[in-house]
Amino acid sequence: MRTPLQRFRIPTRFRPVGLLPFFSFVALFLLWPAVSLFRLALQPTKNSEISAIHEAITGQYLESFIYTIKLSLLTALLGVLFGSLLAASVLRIQRPKWFRHFMTSFTGVAANLGGIPLAFAFIAALGTQGLITKLIDSFGINLADTGFRISNFAGITIVYLYFQIPLMFLIMVPAFDGLRATWAESAASLGAAPWQYWRHIGLPLLTPALLGGFLLLFSNAFSAYATAYALSSGGARLVPVQIRFFLQGNTITGKDNLGYALAAWMIIIMFITMTGYLIIRRRAEKWQQ
Amino acid sequence: MKRVGKAWPYIFIALAIIFFIAPLLSMARFAFQRIPVISLGKNNLFKKWTADGLLVTLRDPEFKHSLSVSLKVAFFTVIVLLLMMIPTTLLVHLSTPRWRGLVETVTILPYVVPPIALVVGVSGTYRSIAPWFLASNYSLVPFYAILAMPFTFRSLDVGIKALDLRTLVDAARSLGSSSLRVMWNVLLPNLRTSIVNATFLTITVVLGEFTIASLLLKRTLPMYMAQEQGREPQGALGLGLLILVLTTLLFTLVGMMRRKNSASNVPQQINSGMVP
Repeated sequence: MRTPLQRFRIPTRFRPVGLLPFFSFVALFLLWPAVSLFRLALQPTKNSEISAIHEAITGQYLESFIYTIKLSLLTALLGVLFGSLLAASVLRIQRPKWFRHFMTSFTGVAANLGGIPLAFAFIAALGTQGLITKLIDSFGINLADTGFRISNFAGITIVYLYFQIPLMFLIMVPAFDGLRATWAESAASLGAAPWQYWRHIGLPLLTPALLGGFLLLFSNAFSAYATAYALSSGGARLVPVQIRFFLQGNTITGKDNLGYALAAWMIIIMFITMTGYLIIRRRAEKWQQ
Repeated sequence: MKRVGKAWPYIFIALAIIFFIAPLLSMARFAFQRIPVISLGKNNLFKKWTADGLLVTLRDPEFKHSLSVSLKVAFFTVIVLLLMMIPTTLLVHLSTPRWRGLVETVTILPYVVPPIALVVGVSGTYRSIAPWFLASNYSLVPFYAILAMPFTFRSLDVGIKALDLRTLVDAARSLGSSSLRVMWNVLLPNLRTSIVNATFLTITVVLGEFTIASLLLKRTLPMYMAQEQGREPQGALGLGLLILVLTTLLFTLVGMMRRKNSASNVPQQINSGMVP
C-alpha cells in the first residue's frame, strides 16, 4: 500500500513529526496544568499531617462531593428518562414532517444552553420574584414555603434538566431510528405482545445508548460550573463552586492546596465516567459492524 | 384506554414545550416590562413594555469593551484551532494512519478535565512561571482551543472520511499541483462544511464560556453579563436573551447547512462543551 504523501519523499519514520505541533499544544495547555494539579494536591496543607488530596475527601469536602454526585446522578437519571420519552414521543408523530426537524434543531440549541443566560432565565421564572413562582402562588401554593429555592438541590436539578433532557433526546433519536420497524413486525407476527418486544428486543438494543447517555449526562452535570454559580451567587455547595474559594483566596490561608486536590478528584471521577462511556461506545460500534 | 395511548406523545410533548418555553418567556417579561412581578395582574399585563433596560446596557462602554474582547478571543481561537487541527487531521488520514487512534483519544481528553479543573491547574502552573501570559486577555485563546478541540476534530474527521482523499490528492498531484496547492484548491474547498461547522460551534463556545474567564478575571461578555445583573438587571437579562436568540439563529444556520450538504442527520453538536 502506497500512501499518496509518499511523493512528498518524507521517510516513514519521520512522518509523525507533522503531528508534533498538535501534541505539544495539548501537552502545554492541557496535560501540564492537569498533571501539575496532582503534584500540588499531594502536598499537605498548613497545620495538617495529611496530604491535600487526602484531606479533600474528609469532612465538609466529602459532603460537597456527595452532594455534587447526588445531584449529577439525579439529573442524569431524570434526563435519561424524560429525554428518551421525549425522543419516543417525537418519533411517534409522523406529520407534519417539519416537526421532527424543528425538535432536533431546538434540542441542539437547548443542549448547548447553559452558563449565565440559562441561570438568568430560571431566576426570572422560578426565583423568589419569578413569573412562574407568582403563577403558582395564584393557585395558593407558596413555593418558598415548600422549601424550594432556585439555588438549592431541587432548584439546581430543575435548571440542569433544561440541558440534560435535550442532550439525551439527541442521543436517543438515532438509537430509536436504529430499531427497524420490521423487527417489531416480526415479533408481533410471531405472537409477541408489545411489552414482550420491548422487554426482549427493543430494550436490549437500546441499552448501550441509554447507558452511554447516562454517563455522558452525569459528566455533563458534574463538571458544570457557570449555571450553578450564577443561580446561587457563588454560594452553592457544589464542588466546582467550592473550588473557586480556594483559587481566589477567600479562605483560610495555607489551604490553597485543597483547591488543587478538589480539582484532582474531579478529574479522577471524570476519568472513570468517560472511560466507561468510551467502553460502551466501542462495544456498540463493534456490534453494529 | 386506547385513546390515552394515542394521546400520550402529544401530552408529553406539550409539557416539554411548556418546560422549555416558560423560562424564556419569564426572562423576556423581566427584561422588557417595567412592572415588578408582585403587582403584575390581568389589568396591566400588556402595559409598560420597553426595551430601555437593554438599550442602556448596549450603550454601556463596558459592554462594548467586553464584546470586543470576546470577539477578538473568538477570532484567534478559531484561527489557532483550524491551523492546528486541519493539518493534523489530514496527516492522520494521509500519511500516519497508525496514529489516528491516539490522536482521536487525545482530542477526547478535554472532556476528562472539566474547565474548572483546567483553570485551577493553569493558575497553579502559569501564575508562577509566566504571569505576563495570564495577564493578557489572549491567554484565553489556547484554553478555549482546547475546549473546542473534541468537536472540531470530529467535524473534520467526518468530513475527510466522506471524501475519497487518496484519489483527490493523487489526481491533483498527477496534474502537477504542488502540495500547498492541493491543500488550498482541492482539500479546503471540499472540507468547507466541516470547517464552517466547527467555526460556528467554536464561536458559540467562546462567546458563552464563563468558568475560565471568570477565574482568570478576564472581562469577557459572560463576565460582563454576570456583573451587569447587579447593576442593571433588566439590561443583563435582555442581553442574555439577545445572545440566546443569536445563538439559536447560528445553530439553525449550521443545521440547515449540514442538512443541505450531507445525508447524515447525526447531530454533531452533541456536547459542544459550552454546557455549562
